[in-house]
Amino acid sequence: MRFLKHLQDTKLSELALLDFAYIVVLLPLIVMLKVPMILFSIIVLAILFFKRTPASDILLFSIFILGGIALYLSLYGAFSFSGLSRLKLFLELLVYVLLIVVSLQRLTRKINFYLLISPFLFLALSLFFYHGIMMLMYVLFEVFVLLWMILSGRMQGDIHEAFKNSMVMFMYSLPWVVVLFIFFPRISFEHASYGFKGESIKRMGHDGTMYLDGNALIVPSDRIVMEVGFEEEIPPANTLYFRGSVLYVDKKDHWEALPKYAKRKEKLYYPTQGKEIRYKVTLYPTNKKWLYLLDMPKRSVENATLDRDLISTVEKNIEEPVHYAAISSLSPSYTETLDNVTYKISTFFDAQQNPQSYELAQTILKKSSSTKEKVDKLMALFKAQSLTYTLKPDALDINHSTDSFLFDKKRGYCVHFASSFVTMARMLGIPARIVTGYKSDKSESLKNYLAIKEKDAHAWAELYIEGKWVRYETTATASSIDFGSIAQAASVQASGEKNPLLQKTNLYLMYTKYNIETWILYYSHVRQLQLLEYAKKNPSFVFGFVASFILLVIGSFLVIAYFRRPRYSSEALAMLQPLLSVLKKEGYLKHKEESMHQFLLRVSANYPENKALRNVDRLYEVLCYANTKDTNTYQAFKNNIKKASKAITINFP
Amino acid sequence: MKSLQTFIQIHRSIKQHATVFSLVVVVMLFGLFMEAYMHDFNLVYITLFFVFSFAFSAGPLGVLNLGNLDAHFAKQGRFFVQKPSLLRLSIENKSTNTSWAILLYGEDGTSVEIPYIKGESTEHLALEYTPTKRGVFTYANCYLESKYPLSTARLTKPIDKTYTGIAYPEPKGISLEQFISIQETHIGEEKEFDGLSTYDGSQKISHLHWASIAKGEMSVKRFSKETEVANLVFIFNNMKGDTESRLSQLTLWVLACEKQRLPFIVELPKQRLSPQKESIDEILEALARY
Repeated sequence: MRFLKHLQDTKLSELALLDFAYIVVLLPLIVMLKVPMILFSIIVLAILFFKRTPASDILLFSIFILGGIALYLSLYGAFSFSGLSRLKLFLELLVYVLLIVVSLQRLTRKINFYLLISPFLFLALSLFFYHGIMMLMYVLFEVFVLLWMILSGRMQGDIHEAFKNSMVMFMYSLPWVVVLFIFFPRISFEHASYGFKGESIKRMGHDGTMYLDGNALIVPSDRIVMEVGFEEEIPPANTLYFRGSVLYVDKKDHWEALPKYAKRKEKLYYPTQGKEIRYKVTLYPTNKKWLYLLDMPKRSVENATLDRDLISTVEKNIEEPVHYAAISSLSPSYTETLDNVTYKISTFFDAQQNPQSYELAQTILKKSSSTKEKVDKLMALFKAQSLTYTLKPDALDINHSTDSFLFDKKRGYCVHFASSFVTMARMLGIPARIVTGYKSDKSESLKNYLAIKEKDAHAWAELYIEGKWVRYETTATASSIDFGSIAQAASVQASGEKNPLLQKTNLYLMYTKYNIETWILYYSHVRQLQLLEYAKKNPSFVFGFVASFILLVIGSFLVIAYFRRPRYSSEALAMLQPLLSVLKKEGYLKHKEESMHQFLLRVSANYPENKALRNVDRLYEVLCYANTKDTNTYQAFKNNIKKASKAITINFP
Repeated sequence: MKSLQTFIQIHRSIKQHATVFSLVVVVMLFGLFMEAYMHDFNLVYITLFFVFSFAFSAGPLGVLNLGNLDAHFAKQGRFFVQKPSLLRLSIENKSTNTSWAILLYGEDGTSVEIPYIKGESTEHLALEYTPTKRGVFTYANCYLESKYPLSTARLTKPIDKTYTGIAYPEPKGISLEQFISIQETHIGEEKEFDGLSTYDGSQKISHLHWASIAKGEMSVKRFSKETEVANLVFIFNNMKGDTESRLSQLTLWVLACEKQRLPFIVELPKQRLSPQKESIDEILEALARY
């Protein structure tokens, strides 16, 4: 409270206000400053702190040289004309130059036009570097502080009064900002980099190969891979397969995608059947080219290609969060005419590699007449093997992986199930392949929001049956599940998240973050059109939107009313206001030189029967000058004000 | 509805002029739009919309800040030609909120700044004014100005009322004391005095009565010319110089007589003025209007 009282009396000079504004706008940029520039800034700050007079020409020249050296050292190596073609390096150079120029001007202790507008330049530059939720919060804070400082400058450095006025202005502006944000036409390029090259960020990632040996990476991590927002409710858990890559080639210890030499006719498109699902995805950097789409994708995503295996890829590896809207059909199969190349590759197997499995396959072949029968028998075979689903399998004999898994170890997870199943299907003459991606169990979902984590990574099989590629959940053939291994693996990553309340809270936070990202940070022209389209179809949405906006306006005006309320020197004077306004209506105005006692005496003379008015006068003196905190006195004062006002209103002298 | 009507009424009384900072806002909006347009950063859009909304809301807030002020001319002092004087104005803030950063401008461009005027209170300001001609003058075209809140617009509120006053002739010429000493003919010697009085420090040292002092009494000589009330008659026609210098001389003497509370008579060609009949202001006004 003492601090607030102190703040109330504080009057800052224009230079101090500017300093505060600079501190606020430079904070996010400090993170990206190189050590030499940080040292330069510290030196400038130290000079400003210890030397309270304007810097001499020699000092200014020295600082200029020092700034030049700091700039050179900061950009040493990266700094060349070719380096300038990288947008962020160019912006970094701008920040450094501006910092040196501002430092030189600040040291003269003279405010000029450029010193006044530079905080806004720093703010605009920082927006090139950061786009996250934290920056969103910070931008709102920065905008408010800059407004506060401008008003403080206009109000003779009275930061307390300026704060109240800034709040009023901020709240006046808020509804406008909301309306503009939603409806302002977004005719923009997508992160254009005119003449600038992309940044060469290198991240680790998977390469679309599925390993069966010790390289098989089990990631029971809670790191979010992607977030999905469905337009309607989330589909059932057993349909939540997100396609990644399709693997055809068995390389003993791992599976690979189609070799590059395998030429296939592309873009043969067969519309998938089933319930249409619309959803939006935020995919975090994977350093892969795949966009994960719900099985089965109906059409390609903007700026991505959808191949005949319904695999969606982008041209460059994903190194920044990607947002895309997609449509899929909830179907476990899709129609396809198999070409020779695909047929050959998807039926290829080495009988010598897994002789035991091959022998068994031959037995099934002899007893089966149709493909469907073969598959049923294969499923039955897997179930009969008493396989255990575990995240801690014993190492397989990689040279005979299917035999080793089915007849020896009998313990594995999705990759082992899928690999063995596909191999045996091929032995039965059925074209088969492995699909890798993610499978969610809806445990991380809220309303229409679904978070896909690394631990949801999955592999399943697709068999070509009667002109269709059909999905088979191979892990479903497991007779038992080793829950211990799953729990143990999970506990390695998230021992503290066993608390369901914590998990729920975490999910809500993720959901909020997702919504902020979806509706604020990555709000776009497409989303704008979708919103309008949705509004056209749903009058209730329009009503809800208008009602929310009205609530926002009312809320803003309540805050404005709070900060614009008149302030009185004492509580008693504040309590007296209703009576004073009644008297004002009756034509009694308190003169400036008149004390309240004199004024009330003057009024009382015209209302001799109004005892309450005289009581008000007496009690006002008591409350103001006797410094009493007695609640009864306050209550009596309040009651007498009411009585006196009533008597005056009905003109009862 | 009533407040909207009041606001419209207030808004009509205010004129808005763009400042260099409005140009800065335009450039800033354009720059932010280009950044947002080329890079599709929603944070830039948010900043852009805030800047736009602040600039937009600055208008009504500035209007409310200035519009509730009411200025009128207060009771003035005397104005003399070529003498810097103060023209007093009272500025009343009718709103319950404080008005900030107010400047009062006079017709000649002089200004006075007042950092704030609290709600429902009145502040008194004075503009410097030097009349150049004697007679009736009108002071008009005063206005209140404020750049609150963002300096993007200069808001002005003309003060409708005009002040009509009288500038008296410039008081100059020979002083009243000189005039009296010229007028008086001292016959006899200095030693012919009317009596003695006790020295209290205010009398001239030359009037000390040394004979008494030698006896140990601090006495001074008292002369009749000091105790007698002078019969001062200023006759316009008998004075030297042109009309303006005569009027200036008369003004100077009238003011000196007022200060020393001396009775006097001013004889103008068709008018005879004396403080017994007219007030000093009326006499000065007669001189101003001559």
